[in-house]
Amino acid sequence: MNSKSRYAWAYMMIAPTLIGTLVFWFYPAVYSIYLGFLKSENFGLVNHWVGWANYERLFKDAEFWQNLRNTMLYVVLFVPTTIVLSTFFAVLLNAKIKGRSVYRVIYFLPQVTMAAAAAMVWVIIFAQDYGLLNSVLGTHVAWISDKRFAMYALVAVGVWGAIGFNMLLILAGLQGIPRPLYEAAELDGAVGFRKFRSITLPLLTPTLFFTSIVLVIGATQIFDSIYLIIGKTNVALPSVRSLVYAYYQNSFIYYDQNYGAAIVNVLLLINLILTGFQFLMQKKWVVYD
Amino acid sequence: MGGAASAKQRSNFIIHLILIAGAVIMVLPFIWMILTSFKTTTEATQIPIKIFPAEPSFRAYADAIKQSSFLHYYANTLMAAFMKTVFPVIFSAMAAFAFARIRFPGSGLCFFLIISVMMVPNPVFYTPQYLMMSNLGLVNTVTALWIASLVSPFATFLLRQFFLGISKELEEAAVLDGCNPFQIFRHIMLPLVSSALVAVVIIQLLWSWNELQWPLIINSSPEKLTLSAGLATLVSMFGTDYPVLMAGAFMAVVPMLVLFFIFQRRFIEGVAFSASKG
Repeated sequence: MNSKSRYAWAYMMIAPTLIGTLVFWFYPAVYSIYLGFLKSENFGLVNHWVGWANYERLFKDAEFWQNLRNTMLYVVLFVPTTIVLSTFFAVLLNAKIKGRSVYRVIYFLPQVTMAAAAAMVWVIIFAQDYGLLNSVLGTHVAWISDKRFAMYALVAVGVWGAIGFNMLLILAGLQGIPRPLYEAAELDGAVGFRKFRSITLPLLTPTLFFTSIVLVIGATQIFDSIYLIIGKTNVALPSVRSLVYAYYQNSFIYYDQNYGAAIVNVLLLINLILTGFQFLMQKKWVVYD
Repeated sequence: MGGAASAKQRSNFIIHLILIAGAVIMVLPFIWMILTSFKTTTEATQIPIKIFPAEPSFRAYADAIKQSSFLHYYANTLMAAFMKTVFPVIFSAMAAFAFARIRFPGSGLCFFLIISVMMVPNPVFYTPQYLMMSNLGLVNTVTALWIASLVSPFATFLLRQFFLGISKELEEAAVLDGCNPFQIFRHIMLPLVSSALVAVVIIQLLWSWNELQWPLIINSSPEKLTLSAGLATLVSMFGTDYPVLMAGAFMAVVPMLVLFFIFQRRFIEGVAFSASKG
């Protein structure tokens, strides 16, 4: 077959994905950056170029900084907790025990559950007056409408949903560590936690690093649980409101698309930096291997 | 020897104890959801707390279906999940094959353009996509739920990794037999990556079934909502009628739970494996 007709086949085969991606994903991403420099009136019928005005307003807005801090706090609480607990359960499952596949299935359940449905049951568990949690603990705490606790409630729900999946990734990493290494360490008299510290942890570092980056990128976009568990009328909202929630509010409730675009473009920048960092570290580790 | 064996038994016992405690926390929300959905409204908000309903009733399920557009939510979610699974799998497999197995001018640039959107957080797309749907007159339609997701850069990227791993010999024999690239793709390559295709199907299905933010933004009339966006409106409709909310939540998660229990190994391996390749 000549190369011209091979090319024709190739272009035909990539055409749906290429065109669809350019129209529905690539162009919108570029357009979002453009929107950040505009001021729209009459529901977008009239657009003025305003340069950096949206960003100047954003950086002077105390609420934006609060939202950024909330988002970062969520990341800082959620990611390490998830990593530690996932590693803990993965190590336990890696010991040759019966029923490993049953545990895998049970821990994976939250992963196949719609966030909206899970959020609703958590709201009922956290409820102040008739909630399961308060009646088990014998307390009377407003877990999701007291600003001292709301963030922790969100983190708990996030961790509950994330453990199963991350545990599996870490378990796969653990199974890649050669057995003879442990046997040699045992001959040297290493037991329990020392084996974990001197063999497991160093060899697991690349897995843990990539798992963390993926978790961080996901956590910077937290929206669903704030929308569903906290809700727009909750007095604790200002202490947990994330960048994406603020984007949603500004763009689709206050109809200020340009200000919303500015918020989400800041998030884009944060994510690009994280991805670049991941890429650099990946190169480093591949060489190191 | 006996001492070592019993020490081993004891440590296994402790491991099981911890794992069971974890498992209880994992399933507790589901159990609570089901128990609450069969209670009466007073039982659900009773102090001290009542664990089991005195007379389990389907009242909450009937109310959730009758008083909201639940059947519409199901139909819309099913339609969106179908479109967002079938088309991306077909289109991505074709594109991934071409990028991995055919050398053609511009392939590097085209591939880069496609995967570059993977670095962009989803909310960045929503306002421009909303404006686009609005220009096309698609706001508040089921079509708007899936039209942008007929293609999947992620699935393209993932499947390309698999096509790259297949040896050349099979392909060369087919070229000698006069097969064109599409025939090679369809009859030789596709069967070889079937496990990756299953993984993509599962991921697309899960994503589209559970997605919240885009359906919430693009559609507002009750007959056009998905299950996830519909559940959010149940809260404002039924307030503290917990049994109805839980009945709705349970009906929304049941289809994926059933699929998960039937194909559990495929689900777990599919999702884990896409993460390790992606």
